[in-house]
Amino acid sequence: MKFTVNRQSFIKKLNDVSRAISTKTTIPILTGLKLVVTDNEITFTGSDTDISIETTLRANDDNAELTVEEPGNIVLPARFFSEIVKRLPEATMTIAVKEGFQANITSGAAAFTINGLDANNYPHLPEIESNDEVTLAGDVFRDIINTTVIAVSNQESRPILTGVHFTLAGDEFTAVATDSHRLSQRKVTLPNPASETHDVIIPGKSLVELSRMIGEEQQDVKMRLAENQVLFMLGDTAFYSRLLEGNYPDTSRLIPSESETTMEISAPALLAAIERASLLSHESRNNVVKLTLSDTATDATATIFGNSPDVGAVEENLSTLALDGNDLEISFNPDYLKDALRSFGQSQIKLSFTSALRPFTLVPSEDGENFIQLITPVRTF
Amino acid sequence: MDKRQTMLNDFDHLQDQASDILTQLAALKVQVTTLSEENAELTVENQHLRELLGEDNGSDEAKRLSKSLQNLERLYEAGFHVCREFYGQRREEHDSCAFCLELIYGERERASKAS
Repeated sequence: MKFTVNRQSFIKKLNDVSRAISTKTTIPILTGLKLVVTDNEITFTGSDTDISIETTLRANDDNAELTVEEPGNIVLPARFFSEIVKRLPEATMTIAVKEGFQANITSGAAAFTINGLDANNYPHLPEIESNDEVTLAGDVFRDIINTTVIAVSNQESRPILTGVHFTLAGDEFTAVATDSHRLSQRKVTLPNPASETHDVIIPGKSLVELSRMIGEEQQDVKMRLAENQVLFMLGDTAFYSRLLEGNYPDTSRLIPSESETTMEISAPALLAAIERASLLSHESRNNVVKLTLSDTATDATATIFGNSPDVGAVEENLSTLALDGNDLEISFNPDYLKDALRSFGQSQIKLSFTSALRPFTLVPSEDGENFIQLITPVRTF
Repeated sequence: MDKRQTMLNDFDHLQDQASDILTQLAALKVQVTTLSEENAELTVENQHLRELLGEDNGSDEAKRLSKSLQNLERLYEAGFHVCREFYGQRREEHDSCAFCLELIYGERERASKAS
C-alpha cells in the first residue's frame, strides 16, 4: 500500500472518523483507525462498537491531490497517527506500508515509522439492507436533536431513558426524550411520507456526536433503519449507531391536555430571571425556585422566588405578556427550566399549569403543536 | 523493660475501652431502629385514627383522590416510585417523577372525564 495525499483534506476526514474512536475500549483494535486504499479512494473507519463512522476521500476531489501507487489496507493507532499527521511539515504526505504492518509516513524531511495492525482483524461494520430511507434537511435534524437530547437521562440505571425515542408514521416524524423529571417532544412533518412506520430509540450520546458532525453545512441527512442499527448518511460520511432495545414508556399520557393557568412571556426574559434566581437556589440543599402567579381583577403578577437559608433570598417580578387563570404557587428545579428555555431561542413562549402538583408545559406561542417541553414540579410543603 | 510493659498494658486498656464503645454503639443502634420502627407504626396509627375521627388531613388535591391513590401518594411522598416504569425504586431526594405524578393525579382527571 502506498499513496500521497494533501494533508489538510486528509486531516478533515480523519477528524470526522476520530469522533467514534475511543481510547477506553475493551477491544484493542478499536483504538485504531482503519484505512482501506483502492485505486481511486481512501476509506476511513472508526468505531467504539456503539457508534461507527465511515468516510471516503476520493481521488477525483481536486483538493485531495490523492495519488495511489499501490492499494492496500491497514489499521493504525488513531491517537498517535492523528497527532503525527497534524504536525507534519509539508502540505502533502506519503504513507507506505511494506511488510509486517509497519507504516512509513513521510512529509518533507520528516519520516515516521509506526506499527499498525492487520486490517482483516478489524470488526465488520453492521450491514443495513433496508431500502426505506428518510431524508431530512441537516439544520432541521440538528435542531430536533439539540432540543430533545437535553431531556435524556444520564443515569445508566435507566438505560431506555438514555435515548431519544423516534417514531415515524406517514409523514409525521416525532422525537421525544424524558428522564422522568422533564420531557421534550418535537414533531416534524416530512415532505414525503415514509412507506413504513418505524419506532426506534437512539442513544443520546450518539445523537450528540451526530449533531456535531452535521455542523453548519446544511446538507441533507439520510436515515436508514435496521433491526438494531441506524445509519445516517451525510454526504460521503456514514454514521452508524446501535439502537437501544426495549419499549419506551408511553409518554403521550404525561402531557396534560388541559390547563388552569397560562402565562405568556418572552423566553430570553424568563431565562435571565431564572438564571438570577438559581444563583441562590444552587447553594441550598434542595435546588428549587418558586413561581407565584396571581391574576386579580386589577392586576396580574408573576413572581420568581429563590431562597437559600445560608446565603439569602431573591425575588423578582416578571414582565409577562399575558397571564390568565387561577392563582398558583409552584416550585421546581430551575436547571430543568433553564435547559428547556434555551431550546426556544428568542421566541415567545406559553407556559400552561394545571396544579402545584402536576407537571407544567412550555410551548412556543406561535406553534404549540410541534414542540413541547414539560417539567415536573417539586413538592415543598 | 518496665517501660515496654507499661505500654503494653496501656494498649490492652485502650483495646478494652474501644471494644466497650463498640458494644455501646451497637446497643444504641438497635435502640434507634426500634424507636424509628415504633415511630413509623405510630404515624400510621395516628393517620388511621384521624381518618376515623373524620379529621381533615392531606393537601387539597389529596382530598379529591380515592383511598388507593392516597396510599400511592403517601408512598411517593415517602420517597418511592409508584409508577409502572420504576415501581418500588427509591426516588432521589427532591427529584420528582412525571410518570408517578401522572399515575397519582392524572388518573382522576381521566376518570372524571369518562363519567
